[in-house]
Amino acid sequence: MASVEYVNVGKSFGAVKVMEDISFTISDQKFVVLLGPSGCGKTTLLRMTAGLETIADGEIHIGGKRMNNVHPRDRDIAMVFQNYALYPTLKVFDNIAFSLQVRRQSKDEVKKQVEWAAELLNLTPYLARYPKELSGGQRQRVAMGRALVRHPQVFLFDEPLSNLDAKLRGQMRYEIRRLHDRLQTTTIYVTHDQIEAMTMADEIVVMRDGEIEQIGTPEEIYDRPANCFVADFIGSPSINFLKGEIQGTAGQQTFHAGGMVLPLPAQTKAEPGQKVTCGIRPVDIAVGPDGPVKAEVVLVESTGAESHLLLTIDGQEIRAVAQGRLRARPGDICGLSIDPATLHLFDAGSEQRIN
Amino acid sequence: MVLTPAQRILRALVAWAVVMLFAFPIYYWITVSIKLGRDIFAIPPKIFSFETSAKSYEEVFGISLGFEKGIAVLPGGGDFYMAPRLMDSIIIAVFSTAVAVLVATLAAYALSRMRFRGQHHFVFWILSTRMMPPVAVAIPMFFIYKDFGLLDTYTGIVLVHALMNMPLAVLLLKSFFDDIPKEIDEAALIDGASRFLIFRKLVLPMALGGIAATAVLCFIFSWTEFLFALTLTQTSLKTVPVVSSTFVTSTGTAWGNMAALGTAAMLPAFVFILLVQKNLVRGLTLGSVKQ
Repeated sequence: MASVEYVNVGKSFGAVKVMEDISFTISDQKFVVLLGPSGCGKTTLLRMTAGLETIADGEIHIGGKRMNNVHPRDRDIAMVFQNYALYPTLKVFDNIAFSLQVRRQSKDEVKKQVEWAAELLNLTPYLARYPKELSGGQRQRVAMGRALVRHPQVFLFDEPLSNLDAKLRGQMRYEIRRLHDRLQTTTIYVTHDQIEAMTMADEIVVMRDGEIEQIGTPEEIYDRPANCFVADFIGSPSINFLKGEIQGTAGQQTFHAGGMVLPLPAQTKAEPGQKVTCGIRPVDIAVGPDGPVKAEVVLVESTGAESHLLLTIDGQEIRAVAQGRLRARPGDICGLSIDPATLHLFDAGSEQRIN
Repeated sequence: MVLTPAQRILRALVAWAVVMLFAFPIYYWITVSIKLGRDIFAIPPKIFSFETSAKSYEEVFGISLGFEKGIAVLPGGGDFYMAPRLMDSIIIAVFSTAVAVLVATLAAYALSRMRFRGQHHFVFWILSTRMMPPVAVAIPMFFIYKDFGLLDTYTGIVLVHALMNMPLAVLLLKSFFDDIPKEIDEAALIDGASRFLIFRKLVLPMALGGIAATAVLCFIFSWTEFLFALTLTQTSLKTVPVVSSTFVTSTGTAWGNMAALGTAAMLPAFVFILLVQKNLVRGLTLGSVKQ
């Protein structure tokens, strides 16, 4: 087990710079998720950590050792690929045993380790099968078993669940996290799925266009997104953005967007007259018959447990989530109440958080 | 799709018609080899009923098959004794295929997996060697071979056939290797395997189908190649396509003997394809179906 440290890491493919000056540290035993849309550089960063891509600028340290020119096999890491990358010509046992056999461990030791991993992953009945005879979830577990037997210092996961169906994904999410809690191995997990990030991570690193937008625990990222991009990326249904202006003096500021006026929390760095974007999470909007902000219902979608509403306020569309079934119909006028403490204020120009 | 009985019959008929179209010339060629000389050009053609004779084969292979009583086979088989020529062809096709496939497999794997400066130019350059008509280099090759002492040797013809097959084999195999996910190599690399171990233990078994398909193409090319086999040999070896021309003599064309040699020459290629057939089908469909 080891910490992983990135120091001013940069990377370019030909003339295209995909990453610049990435610096952060993953402490020992942490489960860290690299989150971002496709093309944001998260997989490249993971592959650089594994040694599958060269590190153009900066340094990567694993367990305090500089890894820049170290061969992948000597980095003491294990990686699980998106398409599993199982060896199709080898049986499950040999797939899992491959790395141990390559390192010339004794037959007894190999058998012991493989059986331990298979037991842990419920793969024992499938050891004599070929990968093509397994289901998607089983293949995924074989890929994990292959990583486990090595007892590496760091696990690297590259979108391991994206080829599974929704139900299995939920189950594997839980299994991977439970495995981490048990083994306590430092884990770097790449995904574009914010649910996976929120549910599994000790810490999330949100990336965009080769830059880090925010690093924090899932709660920090959700409760205090650093900018509009992070606020938009995390949370489902996604956050509402209203463009408007700050009025009033400190302590009694209000947010004005068209005819809508929202009181603001006491502590903001906003100045009167500043153009801002106000973010409101759909779940933070209470929908009732007599809230202070009047809105017209456009659409009601019921998911069973909750109702998703699309509303308009002075022509601006806004989404809200209400618990239970709602008897609203398109065209109805309802009242919204919003707790000022839940508002996220971003500067309209820089899109950075100001409260 | 559900077919009506009429459609089913029609489909079967069309299928058989296509099979006939391809099989008939081969059937006819084989019958020519066992016909008597006077029946070969008989009008109307004797397609199914004719008197059979093994004479053509006996002359071509210099052995008595025991069918023609009282007719002595000339010692050494006479003018048309071709058994050693068939052997020449087999040796050259087998070895040139082996050389081409061995080198091309290694080259194709490297081109598929390793990144180096000018890689794409390199691939194009390989292909460009096939754009030149072979006849353009036939005479220079003759002089080069003469100087190197390769003229009229097995090594010489094996080399030239292997070299001619190499570009196509490399490109074909590269596409097969490209179809094998790169992540398998990467996973094994992280697992601690060397490049060669990855190639030998993981990638090669997966590419067997492609290698078989490539080997068949190389074998058939070498088996039927005429130009270099003609210009770079003199007396000590001759391949089947080259000696086929000797059946055209000043006193007429020995159609029966030519057909006998042609029929016999089909066999080794047929056996070779039969041997790799299982892999061949897999090779031809590799990558087209999601695993």
